[in-house]
Amino acid sequence: MFTKRTETLRQRQDRRFINKETQTAAKYLRRMKELSGAPEGIEPFYNTLERIYVDMDYVKSGAYRHTIGTYCVMTPPELIYAAGAMPVKLCSGNYTAFSIGDDIAPRDACPLVKAVAGFKQTGLMPVYEDCSMMIVPITCDCKKKIAGMLSDRCEVMTLHIPATRNDDDIEEFTRQLYELMERLENITGNRITYESLSDAFRIVGYAQYELSEFIRLKKQMPYLIRGSHAMAILNAASYMTAGEWGRALHSVNETLKKRIAEKKTVTSKKLPRILLTGSPIVFPNIKIPLLIEENGGIVAGDETCMGERGMWDPAVITDNSFDGMINALANRALRPCPCPTFADNSQRIYRIKQLIKENQIQGVIYHVLRGCLVYDFEYKRIEDELGKLGIPVIRLESDYNEEDIEQLRIRIEAFIELIKLRQEPEKNKAVRKNF
Amino acid sequence: MRSKKRIIITTLVCIGIGALAYFAWLFPFYVFDTNNFSTSIEKLFSVGYLKTLVPLFIIIGLSAVGIVLIVLLRRMLAKSDKNYRRFADVRTGRTRGKAPKQKTAAFMIIRWVVMIVSAIILIWGGLIFGMGISSLSIPVLSCPWNTEEMTNSSCYYLSHLNELFELPIGSILLFFISTLGFIFVLGRVICGFICPVGLIQDIMDRLRRRTNTEGIKMNEKMYNAITPVKWFILLVFIGLCFAGGNFCNFCPAVAVSPILAGMSTSLYVSGFLMVLVLMGSFFKRRAFCTVCPLGTIMGFFHKISLFRIKKDCHSCTECGACYEACPMGIKMIYTEREKTDVTHANCIMCGECVRCCPEDNALSLTFAGKKIYTSSRKKIMSGTDKLPEHLSDL
Repeated sequence: MFTKRTETLRQRQDRRFINKETQTAAKYLRRMKELSGAPEGIEPFYNTLERIYVDMDYVKSGAYRHTIGTYCVMTPPELIYAAGAMPVKLCSGNYTAFSIGDDIAPRDACPLVKAVAGFKQTGLMPVYEDCSMMIVPITCDCKKKIAGMLSDRCEVMTLHIPATRNDDDIEEFTRQLYELMERLENITGNRITYESLSDAFRIVGYAQYELSEFIRLKKQMPYLIRGSHAMAILNAASYMTAGEWGRALHSVNETLKKRIAEKKTVTSKKLPRILLTGSPIVFPNIKIPLLIEENGGIVAGDETCMGERGMWDPAVITDNSFDGMINALANRALRPCPCPTFADNSQRIYRIKQLIKENQIQGVIYHVLRGCLVYDFEYKRIEDELGKLGIPVIRLESDYNEEDIEQLRIRIEAFIELIKLRQEPEKNKAVRKNF
Repeated sequence: MRSKKRIIITTLVCIGIGALAYFAWLFPFYVFDTNNFSTSIEKLFSVGYLKTLVPLFIIIGLSAVGIVLIVLLRRMLAKSDKNYRRFADVRTGRTRGKAPKQKTAAFMIIRWVVMIVSAIILIWGGLIFGMGISSLSIPVLSCPWNTEEMTNSSCYYLSHLNELFELPIGSILLFFISTLGFIFVLGRVICGFICPVGLIQDIMDRLRRRTNTEGIKMNEKMYNAITPVKWFILLVFIGLCFAGGNFCNFCPAVAVSPILAGMSTSLYVSGFLMVLVLMGSFFKRRAFCTVCPLGTIMGFFHKISLFRIKKDCHSCTECGACYEACPMGIKMIYTEREKTDVTHANCIMCGECVRCCPEDNALSLTFAGKKIYTSSRKKIMSGTDKLPEHLSDL
């Protein structure tokens, strides 16, 4: 009559966690696949996301024996490759982990950090458990505290991010990178040499080359690719080696080139072109780009750190000595970064204006994760600046759950309608026959 | 307190430079029995030529020793520094492998060709092509003691203004017209493309890059500290003749052009300074140009010269690569966010900022409004557009 419970409470919780986690990830992956117009060659990126979140498997690190977790774009991946390890971006967008982290982290902490705390608590996500070390650049208070929380499970190195970007700050950051290199060497057992560092520059440089080709093609012709698909490609970069990702992106670029030659686009309609900016959008929390594209808009560009901006800036070697290369990395990590953690971040406004010009953007959606103060602070200024250009902006606040999805849908729908009203009505090109 | 200390140090350095310049003839570097300023093409291929080159060999030898000593000293320092101890060997040792490098731009090839050709013309031009245009003055630090120089160099009369006004009026006018004409058309392109001292410094920089040796990184503070020294050197350059000194005994350029042209020239402080210039430019690209008095004078006219650096402020991401690359340490080029013209008084038009700029069209070098060299993402990534064989499975 009654089956005896053999599982303990913990096991039941774990099973429930895994079920829920894989289901959400699979659902968002499916929704992404259902969108029309995915370019050929996108499968490796889908497969990677599926492998990590649905199959809950380890990353394919290939020849690299260790994986090193990183939390922000400020961590130079070159150093990790040079030490013979593979970097994995651990910023999380997971709803299930968020709901667990909600009980651990304070109420006002941002969902990204809560999700990380959740993963740490359950200890079930292989990508997290596999890391030999985690590198946490201190870009906000939440990151600072999560670094402390993580450190009782795994080795953690914090990188202090200065508030300004003067020469002294770069020098100090360079010194930290030397410290980071020392710790990386201790973990992997490999020495970082001039040769391994230049090879690392080549690997990451190749991925960045393909990314800049991708973005160049994207802005060459509107409606060439959907923003959600681009987002999947860029998100998958977190869990692939730079070489593998670059090669996979190369075949996508070939498809896009073919599309340009054949003048083929994902849609024949004039969909409102929207720029997404603000807090990071990490798989599986891609409800906003999906909602935009399911409701008749198109994400024509994004300025988020898990998106186009993350790997955009190359490390420019101006001095080819060993120290010169480390200096190039420090310079790249801080100076071009439009992260709101810096006191003066007016360069972000210029960046957004340029993206608007290049991608013929008609409206900007400013995404704020609840509790992400630094991004929220910058909204006002960006709203004012874009108001002068006559570009409509809305601020969308969201959390890592599906409760706000209907509210978001209504607001996005209204925003898209607003843009449609502003643009000239599409002319009916079909010739009228048969009166 | 700190600024007080800085003022005292700057004053002391300036007094030192002033005294050194005034009493330059008291510090002989290498003195010939008689200075023989006659030369010919035949002499360049005779044994006597080697004799005139002796001071140059001494300079090169001394600088080589100095460079090696500095590298060793730095190695010692790095080994005792607790942050860098572990990487002391990697930083200062011999390196294997090559850093990725973008394809050489046509602009850079042209610049090197022009620099070499103009150095030949300025040093041996008179011997090869005759002295047809020798009355023209070009503001370049190629020594006018080389009497076989194809064009005259403005630096002599600018540093001996009292002699200039003793010349006939026609010569004075020609001097001013030709100097100002060159400044207007070329501006500080003269520094980046024509000056032989610039070429020597660029060769030293090349040597450093070849050996992957670490340079000395200058930051904004150091440049700010140097600026008053630069102004003082300009003051010495113009004023020394009125105080009864001769700037030529102090000027490092004397150690190059006349000697190479086959004239036995006695060297005073200039010889020692040339050693410093060679060592300095090995570790810091164009080290002398940051204090060159002639360059400072040309910098006054940077607003009217036809060559300009233009910036598209919207494309700029403020990545600072241009600032890192700039041999003159011009910071405004990456912080500027409004003006399109970012030509700075210190800019020598070497094009390095454009070469290192990763954004399409963000920086460009223009001549009379026409773009001749533009930055591009594709160019900067051209070194990594394919994975090399040994990395293709990673």
